[in-house]
Amino acid sequence: MTRKTLTLIARTFVTALAGCLVAASAARAATELTVWHAYRGDEKAAFEKVVGMYNAKQKDAVVKTLAVPYDAYADKITASVPRGKGPDVFIFAQDRLGGWVEAGQTIEPIDFFVDDKIVASLVPGMMSAMTYRDTVYGLPLNYKSIAMIYNTALVKTPPKTTGELVKVAKGLTNAPSGRFGLAYEYSNFFFHAALMNAFGGQVFGPGAKPTIDSPQNVASVKQMLRWYKTDGILPADPSSTLIASLFNEGKAAIVFSGPWFLGEVQDKVKYAIAPLPTVDEAGGKPMKPWLTVEGVYVSAGSQHKEAAYAFAEFLVSTEAAAVLALEGGQLPTNKAVYADPRVMKNPTLQGFRKQLDTAVPMPNYAEMTLMWSPVTTAMNKIVKGSATPEVALKEAQATVTDSIAKLRKGK
Amino acid sequence: MTDLAHLPTTRAAPADTPARRTLRFLLQPAALGLALALLVAGLLGNWFHRQASAELVADRQARISILEGSALADFVAIQVGANPEDQAPLQQALLDWVERSPGDDDIRVVRLGGARLLASTHPADRAGELPRRLTREEKWLFDLGQELRAAADTNASEGVFRKPQIEVSRPGEGRIRVTVPYLSDGQITGFVQHDRPLPAVSPLRAPLPLALLLVVPLAVLWLAALSLNRQGGVAAGAGKWILFLVAVGLFSIAWYLYSSRALEGLGTLADEGQSAVAEAYQELRSRVTDSDAAASGPENPWDVDVFQRPRGLLAADGSPNADAVRAAADSVQQPYTRAMWGNWVLGLAVIAFFALGVARRLRETISEYRYAYLYVTPAMVGMLILVFFPFAYGIALSFTGQTIFNTNQPLTDLFVGLQNYRDILGDFDVARHTADGWAINYQNFYWTLFITICWTVANVAIGVGLGMVLALVLNTPGLRFKAIYRVLLILPWAIPNYITALIWKALFHQQFGAINQGIQMFGGEPVAWFDGVFSSFITGLATNGWLSFPFMMVVILGGLQSISADMYEAATVEGATRRQQFWSITLPLLKPTLVPAVILSVVWTFNMFNVIYLVSGGEPAGANEILITKAYKIAFEEYRYAYSAAYSTVIFLILLVYGVFQTRMTRATEAVHT
Repeated sequence: MTRKTLTLIARTFVTALAGCLVAASAARAATELTVWHAYRGDEKAAFEKVVGMYNAKQKDAVVKTLAVPYDAYADKITASVPRGKGPDVFIFAQDRLGGWVEAGQTIEPIDFFVDDKIVASLVPGMMSAMTYRDTVYGLPLNYKSIAMIYNTALVKTPPKTTGELVKVAKGLTNAPSGRFGLAYEYSNFFFHAALMNAFGGQVFGPGAKPTIDSPQNVASVKQMLRWYKTDGILPADPSSTLIASLFNEGKAAIVFSGPWFLGEVQDKVKYAIAPLPTVDEAGGKPMKPWLTVEGVYVSAGSQHKEAAYAFAEFLVSTEAAAVLALEGGQLPTNKAVYADPRVMKNPTLQGFRKQLDTAVPMPNYAEMTLMWSPVTTAMNKIVKGSATPEVALKEAQATVTDSIAKLRKGK
Repeated sequence: MTDLAHLPTTRAAPADTPARRTLRFLLQPAALGLALALLVAGLLGNWFHRQASAELVADRQARISILEGSALADFVAIQVGANPEDQAPLQQALLDWVERSPGDDDIRVVRLGGARLLASTHPADRAGELPRRLTREEKWLFDLGQELRAAADTNASEGVFRKPQIEVSRPGEGRIRVTVPYLSDGQITGFVQHDRPLPAVSPLRAPLPLALLLVVPLAVLWLAALSLNRQGGVAAGAGKWILFLVAVGLFSIAWYLYSSRALEGLGTLADEGQSAVAEAYQELRSRVTDSDAAASGPENPWDVDVFQRPRGLLAADGSPNADAVRAAADSVQQPYTRAMWGNWVLGLAVIAFFALGVARRLRETISEYRYAYLYVTPAMVGMLILVFFPFAYGIALSFTGQTIFNTNQPLTDLFVGLQNYRDILGDFDVARHTADGWAINYQNFYWTLFITICWTVANVAIGVGLGMVLALVLNTPGLRFKAIYRVLLILPWAIPNYITALIWKALFHQQFGAINQGIQMFGGEPVAWFDGVFSSFITGLATNGWLSFPFMMVVILGGLQSISADMYEAATVEGATRRQQFWSITLPLLKPTLVPAVILSVVWTFNMFNVIYLVSGGEPAGANEILITKAYKIAFEEYRYAYSAAYSTVIFLILLVYGVFQTRMTRATEAVHT
């Protein structure tokens, strides 16, 4: 290495250092907020546009975004925030809320900031997804739920009741050639929850007490089995990729799925969205799918909590929601945005908005994660016929009760 | 390396002067060992003593604060109940309360509904209007109240006590702050926060002065050594042992005196604490006359722990409960006694290290091979940080009860001893006889271990078998396009294994998978691969077999090519058949290459997370889980971190035993060959 190169390296280093110092001193003028999200593609572009709007609008804070890959997201939050690192604001679905609150030092309670005006501007019921043990921890930003997506070439008018659904689906089913009237991930409990809620079932009672083997849950599972076994309108072993390929090949006429599914639908397939049908067997109650609500949380380790909350408030405003909905294809929780003429014209947004009236937020108990594995096992056994719904759900109930007892150890 | 290491050892021997001789006498191994042992034991003992005393003092301070806070909460509840609308009497009552306290106390009463500050004796608040809404700077007060309310709800609804319902904190040097919720109509509606100065605590004295602890035993040891020298006639080896025993005896005596004095001091401190609490209680009782109704019965309503459960140390009339007090004192003294025993063992180890000459030998090796040690230091530091620290942390974690609910508590508070290991290894509920035959408990450790062993053995057998056949085929002399075949056969290895795993999962799909399509083409019934324990096992086996044969093939091919052709020629001349050649030449000569490959492959397969997790996912009902996927599920689906750590440690121990055993075996095979 010559002396010249050494000097060059030294000079570059000094310049870089000076650059950093200048950048640091410039940033000191306004509060700098970091926000983490897991968006990609259109969603990311729309979100960054909203952040740009906020930065242009006010001078107190400069918001910077960081896209974190979804797979690593929750673990990164869990590991960094309680140790005083990480973002000021982060966005994530409500299912991890309970776990983070229980672990402590992760999410700042924002009850104190939230006023009635904000709550009134949101679609009713959304705040409950952000509330844990009667304390509000976040502002709901977007929601996702499943709805009925049907191939308009095969189905002219969407069925309103399960009776109609079975009739339509039977006419379109031809199992030997791999055609099915209806396809959804019925053995996945997240999808099954719509039926379960219609029958008045639930997985956790008050105080996170598991109620997996309740009679209502058993009845809902039996209804699902009727569709699969007796009516034969559902394909076996339904995975998301299978359902997507069936729908794309025109071999599945009706699909119960969420907005994420639309990305997998090929252009040649024309589809429409309608709310899930009412269940005749449950006294005409509608199927109520689980809502996952993306919340904006203020990090407990943030040095600028008020500024962070102000930014969160902006994210749920009508102005921001319009961009997120129209450009990002998101389903904002803001109420007023659905009256926007541009949003009114968008059939996808309106379709899922209609479903929202009957959807219920997925419980945000920390104990929820303990439920998935036993319940999935139970659903698989039931679908394969190796156990009756009563027995399988009872087993799941016992397993979940046991692991919850092991998890909560008193002093 | 060796010439480097030997270079600096040639040094001129120092001249032997009387001063040097005295120094050598004073610093002889036994004396050095004793001095260090005493120093370590003394410093550690002082530290433990300080901790134990600080805990006693902190406990006393917290008890008095909670006592007063609880009394205040009751008092405020009565006041608020009597005058729900007008807070002026409450404010006045609090001002009177503060007036009677010796220090500058601050009391705040916050109602959660509407986030209102009902009353406050803080000078800044006194000047302003009261009651008022909390300001944004006071958000933490509101959050604290919400947290305490949620904690009480949680504890009540779950029936276990895991969240503190009273907060005790130290906002600054010499101050303590206690926050106690108050009830109206049986509901928590707000809280009282009492912030007050702590009474001065007399400075702590060490049980024995360190200088005394060091000098006396050392002096005795030197005297003993001197008399031993005078006497003469004692062999050098025996002298070493005698001095070692003397040092041990001296250390034990010093240690005993130190410990008993320390325990006595802790006992006195605990007694002082009890009487201070009792005194504070009497003073409070005279203040809050309304609560006389509750002033009978064995349990004091104000002397509670942070879960608002009566401690049972103080009766309602203020007299201490002797049994409970002794038990409480024991709970502080016992850990200290345990720590002191640990200290004793440590001291003995230090003495033995020096007095028995281990230290000298270590020093000599280090100075002799100093460059070697210098060169390995960076690697050792790296290993220490990247390998040994996480490893030690995992093992430490396995002795605690950490779950997602208590990650914010220090590990020492969660210590459960061997509980996790007992739960894992002591659970023999593998199979149960029921009305419809035997039911296997797939969650049991031994079942998972059994599956893991089956999995490992079957996989290695398939890998070696298939690899051997292909290698023998590829090794055929004069085979054309050998390079192409070789590349094609190595491909499965080159593709990331999770991609392969996902492809195989799709192949086994019941309705649309290629395998079932093939079966149907020949008129068979489609198999639900992931439903049966055996068929699901086969899916993993097929995938891993596909992934593992290329490695074995490459290794064996290398081994085959190193076998000289002369051997086979000679064998052919002698009239050996192909089969005899294989068993007597090929296989024995492959052994040195094959054995390490098999050892490695066993460890890889034993912990082959990807294939199990991605292909069968342990289906059905967790029956095909192997140990490592089970540990993952316990940690990240059930959130029982400590239990999972114990599980991982068990896996490590199994592999350790296997490793030691294998090394022995390998050595045996090496011995055969050389």
